[in-house]
Amino acid sequence: MAINRYTKMAYGSADEMVFGKSKFPVKAGLGLEIGAGYATPEVNYAPRPEAGASKEKLVKEYQRITTDIMNRMVQVGFPSVVLETEHVEQMTNNPTWGGAVAHAQKEIMEEFHDEYGIKCALRHTPGDIREDRDFLELRGDKFNTLMESFEEVASNGADLLSIETMGGKEVFDYAILRNDVPGMLYAIGCLGTIDMDFIWQEIASVAKKNNVLAAGDTDCSEANTAMFIAGGLLDKNLAHTLAIIARAISAPRSLAAYEAGAVGPGKDCGYENTIVKSIAGVPIAQEGKSSTCAHSDVMGNLVMQCCDLWSNESVEYHAEFGGTSVQCWSESLAYDCALMNTATATGQEKTLRDLMVLSDKYRDPQGYVLAYDNAYRVGEAIVKDGNDIYLRAKNAALKSIEIMEEGVAGKLELTRFEKGALADAKEALSGLTDDKDTFMSDCMAKYKEEVKVFLPENYGL
Amino acid sequence: MTSLDIDPSEILVRYNVQMEKAMSPEDAAAELYPTDELYRPIAEAIFEGEEDDVIEGLEAAIDAGKNPIALIDDALMVGMKVVTDLYDQGVIFLPNVMMSADAMLDGIEFCKDQSDEAPVSKGKVVCHVAEGDVHDIGKTIVAALLRANGYEVVDLGRDVPVDEVIEAVKAENPIMLTGTALMTTTMYAFKAVNDRLLEAGIKVPFACGGGAVNQDFVTTYELGVYGEEAADAPKIADQIVAGAALDALKEEFHKH
Repeated sequence: MAINRYTKMAYGSADEMVFGKSKFPVKAGLGLEIGAGYATPEVNYAPRPEAGASKEKLVKEYQRITTDIMNRMVQVGFPSVVLETEHVEQMTNNPTWGGAVAHAQKEIMEEFHDEYGIKCALRHTPGDIREDRDFLELRGDKFNTLMESFEEVASNGADLLSIETMGGKEVFDYAILRNDVPGMLYAIGCLGTIDMDFIWQEIASVAKKNNVLAAGDTDCSEANTAMFIAGGLLDKNLAHTLAIIARAISAPRSLAAYEAGAVGPGKDCGYENTIVKSIAGVPIAQEGKSSTCAHSDVMGNLVMQCCDLWSNESVEYHAEFGGTSVQCWSESLAYDCALMNTATATGQEKTLRDLMVLSDKYRDPQGYVLAYDNAYRVGEAIVKDGNDIYLRAKNAALKSIEIMEEGVAGKLELTRFEKGALADAKEALSGLTDDKDTFMSDCMAKYKEEVKVFLPENYGL
Repeated sequence: MTSLDIDPSEILVRYNVQMEKAMSPEDAAAELYPTDELYRPIAEAIFEGEEDDVIEGLEAAIDAGKNPIALIDDALMVGMKVVTDLYDQGVIFLPNVMMSADAMLDGIEFCKDQSDEAPVSKGKVVCHVAEGDVHDIGKTIVAALLRANGYEVVDLGRDVPVDEVIEAVKAENPIMLTGTALMTTTMYAFKAVNDRLLEAGIKVPFACGGGAVNQDFVTTYELGVYGEEAADAPKIADQIVAGAALDALKEEFHKH
């Protein structure tokens, strides 16, 4: 499939964006429409480690998980649900395992849909197994196995196909630990996008062939790494101002999936998804206050602002006082969605959206830039040079810096360290060329020298 | 955006802004540099993460008659201690430590090249990422922090088979083994490592952490010491060097 870059915004203004509704909703699975005016919980889970011992044990585990979630949805009366199975490595490396799990899950979901009419869909997210012990191996045998996995799950019941790709991570890991913003730009914006262009054309072809949806990628491997290293307010591992610059750069990378044929809904852990939605108009999944079972962030309410699916990120399957873990978290997610859908039904959706945004907007520079009004501005900076994968990533970084500087002049408080990192990043970016080929050539020389595990052939370079 | 807005001070507290130190990192470092005029430029270059300046400073010190191997302890490690102390105090961030550690390691290699003697480290630590897991940024941070604190690190890399971990421990006789894992499905390899070490009669402390690893899991195997954050690794190593046994390590580092 061809690559079609975005050079204009899907929405005329930021205020048009709201949860539960997207410019281009998608129909999926059993009676579900995503982004068509209502928000839906998306439950994500991990099997207990011992369940990975055999195909049979794993299938049984996912049957239990699926039954538990569907039962709880019906018991408490929720109208729709999406289940996301993020593969454990055994499932992707053995494509028929993933297929068997998808088939078993879909059978159960069909029974519930037939009996109760609950709208539901199944997302499968194979793991990006394209690595060996020493190097990324983005093209070759492992890529072929990965595509077999997509084929197996798509032909056995998965409605939505996603992945969290690793392209660019070898350079990113080096750069992020050295405050190297041009390196982050090269890793995420350039190498990451090149890999996304490559893999998402293939995934979109598999989806089309099987009449399911290519549902998008996130920059989990890079922007989320930055967010997690940055941590909370008191952590000193990475300036939060740098984490949000990495996040801004990740938006054009995640956008590349849609440019190669994906239609959404985007994956939950892509905190950059509000920016992506502003450009592509696709429905998105998000995670925040109801994913604390998996990790902490500093924008738990804000990130719900424009979600179409609302996810818990992941929880290991085990017992809690309120039932199994997947039952507890699915119920919490579904109540969140009920509130959003009530706001929509009463015409109060923009008020609820803005209350959620305001509760976190000044908590941290990450939330400030991702607030939908500012996210939209980052989107505009990206499409301005939408055909140039380097310039649009650089634009995103510079715009996020500009937004933070405005914030500091207002109600956003930053520490001196955060301001210092911001100033350093601005200086580093301002000194860069506007010519993509020059930048790519300079970076190739620098990172081949400094990052011994960087193999340009992974990117066709 | 609608006209809704708020005074954020009523609903959130920026504790990091409140707690910010009055002193800049450069000012804080300046108080800690050695006074010797040959050592001070080397320590400053370590703090700035400037490899070339480190080498230049070492050359000047060697030309002035200093022993290259002694310079590792007297200048490079002193400069690095400024960095790690300020990191522990929350005055500087991790990337500063990483860049300084890069500069220090270049300096150590230069000193070794200038001498036939071998430097003595505080102790040897074997680091690895669990079998099946290729996420190694946590291990990279742990290894850098250990080196920054004067430990010799044997870095086995990522996705390391249990057999290879056991062989490395037998061959290197470290004071500590570290294991990191991002995924719950891979961290079970830590138990296998633990069991194999015990079978071989090796009771080396096994510091584990990262991603999905939690204290509850680490306490299920005898040699396990949970490290909540990467910065705990050199602290655990320091305690081992000071003579702490496994029970004492667990008492101190198991915080929950």
